[in-house]
Amino acid sequence: MLQLFFENIRIAVSAIFSSKMRSFLTALGIIIGVLAVTLMGTLISGLDKSFEKSMSMLGKDVFYISKFEWFGNQDYWELRNRPDIKPEYAEKLVEQGKYVIAASPQSFRMSDMSRDEKSITGVSVIGTTTDYMQTSNTTIEKGRFLTDGEHNSGSRVAVIGYDVAEELFDNSDPIGENVKIGPYKFRVIGVVEKQGKFLGLQSMDTQAIIPLGTFQRLFSRRGFFRLSVKVDKDYMEEAEYEVRSIMRRIREIRPEEPDNFAINKQEAFETTYNSIKLAIGGTGIFITVLSLIVGGIGIMNIMFVSVKERTREIGIRKAIGATRNVILSQFLIEAVLICLMGGLTGLGLAYGLSFAISKFLPSTMPISLAIIAIIISLVVGIMSGLVPSYRAAKLDPIEALSYD
Amino acid sequence: MSAVKAKNGEMIVFKAVKKIYNLGAENVHALDGVDLNIERNEYISIMGPSGSGKSTLMNVIGCLDTPTAGTYVFEGEPVHEMDDNQLASIRNRKIGFVFQTFNLLSKLTALRNVELPLIYANVPREDRLEHAKTALEKVGLGDRMKHKPNELSGGQRQRVAIARALVTNPSIILADEPTGNLDSKSGEEIMKIFDSLHDAGNTIILVTHERYIAEHANRTIHLLDGKIRVDEKNNIKKN
Repeated sequence: MLQLFFENIRIAVSAIFSSKMRSFLTALGIIIGVLAVTLMGTLISGLDKSFEKSMSMLGKDVFYISKFEWFGNQDYWELRNRPDIKPEYAEKLVEQGKYVIAASPQSFRMSDMSRDEKSITGVSVIGTTTDYMQTSNTTIEKGRFLTDGEHNSGSRVAVIGYDVAEELFDNSDPIGENVKIGPYKFRVIGVVEKQGKFLGLQSMDTQAIIPLGTFQRLFSRRGFFRLSVKVDKDYMEEAEYEVRSIMRRIREIRPEEPDNFAINKQEAFETTYNSIKLAIGGTGIFITVLSLIVGGIGIMNIMFVSVKERTREIGIRKAIGATRNVILSQFLIEAVLICLMGGLTGLGLAYGLSFAISKFLPSTMPISLAIIAIIISLVVGIMSGLVPSYRAAKLDPIEALSYD
Repeated sequence: MSAVKAKNGEMIVFKAVKKIYNLGAENVHALDGVDLNIERNEYISIMGPSGSGKSTLMNVIGCLDTPTAGTYVFEGEPVHEMDDNQLASIRNRKIGFVFQTFNLLSKLTALRNVELPLIYANVPREDRLEHAKTALEKVGLGDRMKHKPNELSGGQRQRVAIARALVTNPSIILADEPTGNLDSKSGEEIMKIFDSLHDAGNTIILVTHERYIAEHANRTIHLLDGKIRVDEKNNIKKN
């Protein structure tokens, strides 16, 4: 049986390669289908990876209290009229919250930084307190973080991001050196470890962290604040309830009134992300299925033509002893082989393209996806080859022999 | 399958074989009650005008078709009861076909063409090649094995076809107008091969409408309207 199988593969290969153009055009639908499914998969897995990495920056056990919800569709005017978040809330949350481990207020502004001739634009300057180290997933690579004393006295010290250090100091040690944030002189006391981009958009490495007191004095006293609240990760639900009630107490909200602040969590990103992923994936699957169906029909069509063209050959083979099953498998193998070659071509193209994509997004093609693509092309091959092959198998040898 | 006893030496036994084709309104009796015994090492020619049923008889003997009625026993095996796969198997093992139009596969070399029946018989590769080479040498094409049909003359093609028919060492060789597409010289050569195959002990059935071809055989069957009209031994065998 194995011999016959190899013989049939040999027949199929020679049939496919004897009309290369036709085989290629036939396989095009499958190529596109597999390309679509693998690229989509690669893209999503890349998104997943970068999303996961970004999410780790946010931290699962950290609540972000701000004026607005991250993803919401509340009435704009209601949101606008909400009172601003004040930095003092942080202390109260730590004092009153049983599950609150740390809380830090942060205010942001974009600024340029410079040192002698060198400068860097678009640095996000963060004014915060010492608790920031705990509420963010930041690690200090060199030097140290801010102290309470520096916060209270409004010292002009800064912890700078990795890219800022690289841009302004090249290879020299920045600790203890002076830099300018906007027009103001600061002394560098630490460098944050390289973090990468958040969701591939905002670089976390072009930042400068300064004491909140200093920030308020120099840039703005009444800025936009956000609170990061780190809680006990084993009691997330209780913690959220607690934080909410403390916030309502601070704000003196009556029981029947709704919150006028938002407690944001990493989950909110996940929910939104998952719905985006579903939309991308759904579209991808739709395109894939469509092109596979079209490709499958194309293959079925060409297989019918192939059977017709080779009617006489089928007659000869039957006359000298080929059984129905042998003929069936001969044509089935041909159809499957076309699909498989198409599938592999698509896979190869997708693999190449994934390198191009990886320039924008950390993407690698998962091996499971490659296997799925191969299985899909096998299935399409069998499904589209079955009917034409069956027709070939049940040809009457006498009629087939006299076919012109 | 119930084995039917065949008398000693009897290879093919037809009893009241009918083949009826249903062509729309009317039924055509292509074979209309044929009784026929063929023994081992016979050399038979089947003659008759077109429409006489000689092709149908050929197809039924060759197990390409089964009778509508009657029994056909081939070396003890009841062909009239066989299904498609059994027919394919008996064609593969016991019958060698030679066609008027050669019916070689144009994309395959002479050697691969001859090898083909052995592939379907599941013969191991080395044996296959050896048998195929021997068969080609037997028909005088030992130096043309790697040629494709379109690189061979008509006579050479027909010799490849004969080699293909021989390679499985079949019980019977069926040749349907084997010289019909050949010039007279090539035709003569082909007939010489058949003659020598017969001398070597093979059983051969020729379908022809040329008397001088038929005279090579030592028994001639004339068909008319699906019936055997004449079944005679040829006394004088041409050379």
